[in-house]
Amino acid sequence: MLGSSADMHRVGRALVAIAAVWLISEGVAIAQPAVPGVPPPPATPTSPATPTSPPITVTGRVIDAQGHPIRGAQVKLESSSAQVTTDVGGRFTIEAPVGTTLVVTSDRHGIALANVTGPELEDIVQLPEIRSEKIELRGEAPIAAAGAAQLDRNDIQRMPGTGGDAVRALTAMPGVVNLQIPLGYSGVVIRGSSPQDSKVLIDDFEVPLLFHPLGIRAIIPTESIESLTFIPGGFDVAYGRSSSGIVQLTTRPGGETRSTQAEVSLIDGGLIAQGPLGKHTRYMLALRRSVIDFVLPLVIPSSVDLSLTTVPQYWDEQLRIDHELSSRWNLSLSSVGTDDIFELFTTKDEDARSKRFFSQTRFIRLTGAAKYHDGEWQASLALSGMLSELDAEIGLYQRLDLKTPLVTPRAVVTRAMPEAFGLKDVVWSAGAEAQIGYSSVDLAIPLERREGEPFPAYDPKDTASTFKGSVWFPDFAAWTSVAATFDPRIRVTLGARADYFGRPRELVVQPRSEIQLKLTDTLSSRFGAGIYRRPPEFQSEFLDKSVKSERSQQLTTGLEYTPIRGVRLQGTLYYTDRTALITHNVDGTLNNNGRGTSKGAELLAMIHGGSWFGWLGYSYSNSVRVDEPGGPTRLFDYDQPHSLNVAASWKHGRWQLGSRFSLYSGLPYTPVVGAEFDSDRNLHLPTPGDVNSARAPIHHELDIRVDYAWKWGPAAMLAYLDIQNVYLNRSIVTYFYSYDYSQKSAFESLPLIPSAGLRAVL
Amino acid sequence: MNRSVVIAVVLGGCGQEIDPDWQLDHDRVIAVRATPPRIASGEVAELDALLGHKGQPPSDVDPDTAEVVSPASLAGTLTRPSAHWTVTAPGDDQLAAARNELGLEAGAPVPLRLRVKFAGTGLSALKIVWLGAHADNPVIDPVTIDGMDGLAVAQLTVPAGVDVPLVVEFDTSYNINWLTSCGTMHDFDLAKAHLRVEPTDPHAGSLAIVVRDALGGVAWRLWPITAR
Repeated sequence: MLGSSADMHRVGRALVAIAAVWLISEGVAIAQPAVPGVPPPPATPTSPATPTSPPITVTGRVIDAQGHPIRGAQVKLESSSAQVTTDVGGRFTIEAPVGTTLVVTSDRHGIALANVTGPELEDIVQLPEIRSEKIELRGEAPIAAAGAAQLDRNDIQRMPGTGGDAVRALTAMPGVVNLQIPLGYSGVVIRGSSPQDSKVLIDDFEVPLLFHPLGIRAIIPTESIESLTFIPGGFDVAYGRSSSGIVQLTTRPGGETRSTQAEVSLIDGGLIAQGPLGKHTRYMLALRRSVIDFVLPLVIPSSVDLSLTTVPQYWDEQLRIDHELSSRWNLSLSSVGTDDIFELFTTKDEDARSKRFFSQTRFIRLTGAAKYHDGEWQASLALSGMLSELDAEIGLYQRLDLKTPLVTPRAVVTRAMPEAFGLKDVVWSAGAEAQIGYSSVDLAIPLERREGEPFPAYDPKDTASTFKGSVWFPDFAAWTSVAATFDPRIRVTLGARADYFGRPRELVVQPRSEIQLKLTDTLSSRFGAGIYRRPPEFQSEFLDKSVKSERSQQLTTGLEYTPIRGVRLQGTLYYTDRTALITHNVDGTLNNNGRGTSKGAELLAMIHGGSWFGWLGYSYSNSVRVDEPGGPTRLFDYDQPHSLNVAASWKHGRWQLGSRFSLYSGLPYTPVVGAEFDSDRNLHLPTPGDVNSARAPIHHELDIRVDYAWKWGPAAMLAYLDIQNVYLNRSIVTYFYSYDYSQKSAFESLPLIPSAGLRAVL
Repeated sequence: MNRSVVIAVVLGGCGQEIDPDWQLDHDRVIAVRATPPRIASGEVAELDALLGHKGQPPSDVDPDTAEVVSPASLAGTLTRPSAHWTVTAPGDDQLAAARNELGLEAGAPVPLRLRVKFAGTGLSALKIVWLGAHADNPVIDPVTIDGMDGLAVAQLTVPAGVDVPLVVEFDTSYNINWLTSCGTMHDFDLAKAHLRVEPTDPHAGSLAIVVRDALGGVAWRLWPITAR
């Protein structure tokens, strides 16, 4: 561990040197911290214009030393009392003459100054207040943990290799399993666990899926996202129902100026409108539809026995209205929805129902929230409802129809006290949440495949799992935590969360804690420990009342190093002990007999330096499990020992150029060692070898991205080209077997994945 | 069909060719037949099989070995009195005991699970003969190949470079397989399929139709085929 720390320092120094060169060469140190109590120096005009020039509309963004946007910062002209406040994304718009100075203040940072040089300012960086020795932000319960990372919309858009899709930027995060093709729309895989072990939240509430069909687009476009927070583990008590990690997306609130933008690519096209509605209300409305269903049939050879009747078509929408009711109350109404439909026939004959594959997934979530802030007190009250439907039909016999209305009230109260009980910066938080759902289910499908089980032979008449009825699942949760600074360099957070899962009638208590140590002004460490639970709600788990929740105990420790503004390094070690894992009995019923462990190390370096953005993420991971007591130890399906992502992006004038190199281990798989023909069912029954005893080869690729911005009449235009795998490295994703398992074929990644788009903003 | 397979098929392709389900030019067991597939007490069923061979036409053969997988109490029903393996349905008492062993309801047909093997090939197959009730194998009639009555011709000659329609009269409750070693079969598992022989394909080989019903019955027809 000392070795890794020393290594980190060496890497840190190298990155500091590189970053310093960037910062100096780009001259982006627009903001400087002012000494508290000393008035800012007089403005020094730097352009030919004088302060008496006519005011122009100036836009900019205020960020902290880590590159995170600062919300609520006050931006004012040095010589004027008029001021504006930054939004959630740290953005502001103000009328100011060229050559004047803007003064930026906020309650947690030092004063920063910025010269007005034109209508668009570079990022204004606010450093922590010099007199402050605080580690955590005052007045807010901690949300992140060691190893967590946050990207805002600008960062996401600069990440190459994502095809212009925000959520696919997740694949650059250390701890996220990478694969040459998208992992599907069940979500992300974190630290070698299973997709269902992690939760995806949009504005604090779960959504049932993250990707549209084929996994090439997230259900929420980049332009509708304010920020993406990735917490691979060790999250606090405000989050639950997950035994691995959390992906939190925050939708974009409307800005203070009205704008409309349209974007189209080879995949989809959409519109976003946002702006003010009166003095106290802002809105954001986005709507998107796929176009790939027009493109894809044109590129599939006519000789292939496919009839793409609806391939794949999707809509998604996002709505957000923010209203400032008073200085203490803010209200918001938001909606996220999607409708995906996919139908194909593996024949040209569209009357052949036996060769039909149909899937429709749709949901809409509507959330109303009120936030209160008065002195030491903050409160958040929200009521969210969701309607979701999954309808799938495969051939003549297999079907799955699941309809679920769900309602989720949630309340959180926080009190932040400068001093209490002899401690400093005490933050107490408590919350409660209910998730009450009712599913009507009609299914006739084969016995589900669970983690590590071999893929069964495909039998179109196999309906071993049938159920028709309805299921209630009333789940409740309550939590509380307290964080306090014991010493200027030591901060401790203690919390506990209790969940009651109504279907299995299970009450679980999950204590969690974290210690933060500020080792130097630029180096801090975190130690976290906690218990986490995932309720039985995946696949058919919720149909069986005897199945309990899966449990994990997580230990996390990390170092965070922020040597200069815009540069951040973090290293994390983790160990997760997983118990009560749900597995199949021999007769196909479920039990909680599985257990396993995940351990690993992660390194993340981020650099924001004016026109530069840099990223380095590496993770080492090892995840093993045992499916029944005394059974053999095997790898998890998504065990990926090594994953490396290095990205850099450079913005100059109208151009932005970016590149990303990825290298990661292939995933394990179970080889088939033989097969026997079942004549009556007309299929071969495979004989699996040792579970996950083979592994696909390492994959590496280079992606590039080019953006070009220009003005076209009143519109601000942007065109981008994102190319994945530019040096055409075709590596093996997995293997397919012939019908009798006597032959094996490598399924290779695509040689090149181009993505192009055009955006217009009015 | 697995969703991931569908996605994989749409997103990309396999790196190497593997034989499709309809390929006859492959060492494989195509079907095992019991005639009849269901027998009442005292009746006898005879076993044979259709094998595919790499580089040779398929053949109708007798298994070299056969064994009862379950129920163990009916192991004595399988014998080889001559060249053919046969199953003789036992009396009601033995069937009742077998139902008890398998947890079946009274009067239910008893599945006699068999494993058959073919010497020199390494191939084996599972087959069920149902005991306690009678049913016959399906009959493939009519079958139309390129507009011709398939039952009336012993040797097929079809045009190359065009779609050659293949039709049998069975509904979707039947499992249908068209197989060939000459050209490419399309919709091989539908009652209406078509064969297309491209210039690069082998222009001579075999064509087969195999039909299975829901009662364990199976039937097949074989033709030598040439494309011109």
